[in-house]
Amino acid sequence: MTKKQLGIFLTVVFVLLAALIVGIVLTDGLYEKDVNIQESMQDAVLHEGDKVYFFGMTVNPGLISAYLVTGIILLFAALVRIFVIPHFKTIPGKFQLVLEEAVGLFDNMAKTNSPHRNNFLGAYIFAAAAYIFVGTLFELVGFPWQSAAGMSVTLPAPLSDINGAISLGCLSYLVILVGGILSNRFRGLGRTLKEFSLPISMSFRLFGALLSGLLVSELVYSYLTLSFVLPVLVGVLFTVMHALVQAYVLATLTALIYGEVTEPYVKKPKQAKKHQSKSEVKA
Amino acid sequence: MPLNIDWQQILLHLLNFVILFAGLWLLLYKPVRKFMNERRQKYEKMDADAQKKTAEAEESRAEYERKLAEADAEIEQKRADARKELDRYETMRKNAAEEEASSIVAAARESAAREKERALSDARGEIAGLVTEATEKLVLKESASEAYDSFLDAAERAEKKDGGNA
Repeated sequence: MTKKQLGIFLTVVFVLLAALIVGIVLTDGLYEKDVNIQESMQDAVLHEGDKVYFFGMTVNPGLISAYLVTGIILLFAALVRIFVIPHFKTIPGKFQLVLEEAVGLFDNMAKTNSPHRNNFLGAYIFAAAAYIFVGTLFELVGFPWQSAAGMSVTLPAPLSDINGAISLGCLSYLVILVGGILSNRFRGLGRTLKEFSLPISMSFRLFGALLSGLLVSELVYSYLTLSFVLPVLVGVLFTVMHALVQAYVLATLTALIYGEVTEPYVKKPKQAKKHQSKSEVKA
Repeated sequence: MPLNIDWQQILLHLLNFVILFAGLWLLLYKPVRKFMNERRQKYEKMDADAQKKTAEAEESRAEYERKLAEADAEIEQKRADARKELDRYETMRKNAAEEEASSIVAAARESAAREKERALSDARGEIAGLVTEATEKLVLKESASEAYDSFLDAAERAEKKDGGNA
């Protein structure tokens, strides 16, 4: 056995022993956290116990998160606008390429799904996707805030607040409705109203997806034995994946339905009825 | 409201998103898309220019080939004309040579006829001289008039004989 092989062997043995000792200690009932998980999860959904003040109004912490996320995104956009965009090159660098890919992805999505009217749509789904993505990742930061009761609360993702999800879902529906009316007048209005379940489905899809990640995280953090290593995996699964998937899903759905309601109406040609004589029928 | 739904907070969320949308559109989306569109237009223009130049080059090549074909045809035409001219000239020379040869032959024949006539005349003269000389010699024996008469008779007979043969 060479020195290198001996080193590897000893390292593996040491890691195994350490893991076993940690496991034995943590599975002792002494280290179980005595919390009411039902109350914890109910607070995560309803925010009854962790309201915060916002310009004198008592609001859910998700609203503070929303404004912070908007501030972060706009600050980033302003810095990019001032320092990066004026120095754009014809052959892009890495950061320029990322920006162009992000803008190009939603611009192309808008053009593909709604070829007749897409200027506003591209900008809207870009903003919505950026908001969902950054807002979902925001909960990984665990930004602390003082609640109305004077307790410290961790700011959640803006869309894990049902009001935030409803606002984005309804706004997307409103954008589709306005696009439909501008393109096809009453026909566009009718087409949009036909999709009456869309605001509810969009809102609750966002809320459910974001909330499920939050609840699982709460569940994991509630037990000390699960709070080692596992939160990293759970955080990646329920935060990063949701950030990408929900941003893409809302953008795609909005673009798709916007394209359907803004599609110009084409009158179908009437098929001429064939009058057959009795002799022709017999033949 | 159930599920902690609050209209005021929904409106606050909407206001937040509208601010975000307006800011992102003005600060990021619009300038980046404008840059991308300008770059695409630039490359499309370059592509169109290249295609136009290729088309022009193709047109020039076709024009050159057409002119080349026309020049070949013209050269062939001129060659045919030259050949035709040469043939005509050869024919003309041949005819002229034949005419000259005919005239030479005719002149030669005429000259020969004249020579023959002259030779005959000379021969007659010589014969007459000989006859005269022979007559003079005969006169020594006979009278000159008789001899002369007999000579004329003899010559007449000879002429008749020649005329009958002819």
